[in-house]
Amino acid sequence: MDDTGTDDSRPQFLSSQNAEFLINSVDAFLFDCDGVIWKGDTLIDGVPETLEMLRSKGKKLVFVTNNSTKSRKQYAKKFQTFGISVNEEEIFSSSFAAAAYLKSINFPKEKKVYVIGEEGILEELELVGYTCLGGPEDGNKRIQLNSNFFFEHDKDVGAVVVGLDQYINYYKLQYGTLCIRENSGCLFIATNRDAIGHLTSQEWPGAGTMVAAICGSTQKEPIVVGKPSTFMMDFLLERFQIDTPKMCMVGDRLDTDILFGKNAGCKTLLVFSGPHKQHPT
Amino acid sequence: MVTRASSSIVASLNLSLKTTFAPKFQNLGFLGHRISASPLVFPCSNNSKCCSRMLGSFKFSVKAASAEPLKDANELINSVETFIFDCDGVIWKGDNLIEGVPETLDMLRSKGKRLVFVTNNSTKSRKQYGKKFETLGLAVNEEEIFASSFAASAYLQSIDFPKDKKVYVIGEDGILKELELAGFQYLGGPDDGNKKIELKPGFYMEHDENVGAVVVGFDRYFNYYKVQYGTLCIRENPGCLFIATNRDAVTHLTDAQEWAGGGSMVGAIRGSTQKEPVVVGKPSTFMMDYLSKKFNILKSQICMVGDRLDTDVLFGQNGGCKSLLVLSGVTNLSMLRSPENPIQPDFYTSKVSDLLSLTAASV
Repeated sequence: MDDTGTDDSRPQFLSSQNAEFLINSVDAFLFDCDGVIWKGDTLIDGVPETLEMLRSKGKKLVFVTNNSTKSRKQYAKKFQTFGISVNEEEIFSSSFAAAAYLKSINFPKEKKVYVIGEEGILEELELVGYTCLGGPEDGNKRIQLNSNFFFEHDKDVGAVVVGLDQYINYYKLQYGTLCIRENSGCLFIATNRDAIGHLTSQEWPGAGTMVAAICGSTQKEPIVVGKPSTFMMDFLLERFQIDTPKMCMVGDRLDTDILFGKNAGCKTLLVFSGPHKQHPT
Repeated sequence: MVTRASSSIVASLNLSLKTTFAPKFQNLGFLGHRISASPLVFPCSNNSKCCSRMLGSFKFSVKAASAEPLKDANELINSVETFIFDCDGVIWKGDNLIEGVPETLDMLRSKGKRLVFVTNNSTKSRKQYGKKFETLGLAVNEEEIFASSFAASAYLQSIDFPKDKKVYVIGEDGILKELELAGFQYLGGPDDGNKKIELKPGFYMEHDENVGAVVVGFDRYFNYYKVQYGTLCIRENPGCLFIATNRDAVTHLTDAQEWAGGGSMVGAIRGSTQKEPVVVGKPSTFMMDYLSKKFNILKSQICMVGDRLDTDVLFGQNGGCKSLLVLSGVTNLSMLRSPENPIQPDFYTSKVSDLLSLTAASV
């Protein structure tokens, strides 16, 4: 399926024979973070040394995460706490992707964005100059269901961005729903649709939950900016000018990371430090 | 730039939808989500088309002819024995009775018609709905009311759901009351709306391994705690059922505007579990089959009266009944006539009381 010249009809188990071949055949490694670099707040064994080795061989390192709860800046800090030096510019979170997408379509600055999600999304949107409503604060808002109460929403909201939101509540669902249903041309953007999020080492509902909730109330499908959508890949390609066969995507999820890599024609490496604990058939 | 899913990878992710409790009704059905075209759209990662398991016989029936405006109300009334009414947008809007309803219901009763009220609104139990009817001055017996809250517990009874298993509820009081009436143990409900999670390292959320079913309906106290609890039960308790009272996208909880409906909460759990629910409310015919058996009525002798095409009218059509759309609720004439709308009721009229005024006019 890809043009590396190798037979990739069956995944190969990484061994001392083919690892060197893999490293030499690519110029850039794209890493997922949750389940690959860290698990919750715990660094996975051997990661710092491995990243150093790859850098010393001149490989470009890029970190592509669907976790929208932090901004790139906040992720760079997280790497720092693990003693790994990673530049903000090397990190592509789905929070950043949402802002980059709006910028790429020239979303008007006079329009507002309603966010069903956490700080990371707000920060990235504000960095590119967009006005945001919603976010964690709306997690404290309640509704009243009586004939005197009318739920208002801002008619200037031109996009609703939905990502992982541990503060999800009915108020936000209703606000986002009204914007999408009633504001003409209002966009419905999903940072990602992962069923599972990694907030601690236990599995937690991912952004896919919040996104599906809004799909359920609007009967619309979102524009997805995170993996496996190729939006982030196209963005990276333009930024780094590297051919996709010379990239290797390293991730722990088949339906986001591996699909993301394969869709773009990259080599792909699945690690079992995440949800897939054994050879997938 | 178009995302193409690698079919072999997606196929390997196809999760099993089987449960160990064998429902007595067939599984089937395509709900029919409208997908807006976009190069970056990536559909549900486990299904190439969204679907729900509907109970009863489901046909996504497309009528060739358009709906007729109701003119000869006498003919319709004489041709059926039972009228099934939706409530929100048909009988009342929020807490306000729609004009002309009491007299119309009286007229139908005086002609010997059986009246049944079937609502997808799971926030109240049948008993609580009985009180609402009373407050509005309508003489309706509890036994004539079938809310989706009742449907959920009737479904569990119909599959002999074991009394030693528990039910986790993402929903409101109506569901809890109906489960209790039927003798089922439950957890969750509005109280869990106050529960918070603290995502600190080392924090682990426990869940009751005896939960054998998660029932999801409209829930204004919806929060992340409940999503996680329901998700853990469905994913980790073997054979745990995922039951939806209904999947309405929006609903008129107040008469002034639309509110995100049960479809939102159900959507959330579909998103986190990647499983499809068993749907007990309209347009699934579970309630239709239940009441036709209970009252011993032929479906061809029933007319379904509702304001929603994708629940009420489809419910009537799926059940083989006549259908009358009223424009006093969520559907207006342009929605009915829209080329994008495949669902055509037999008749349409502006409101329920037209049944009375049109019969009086023809006398």
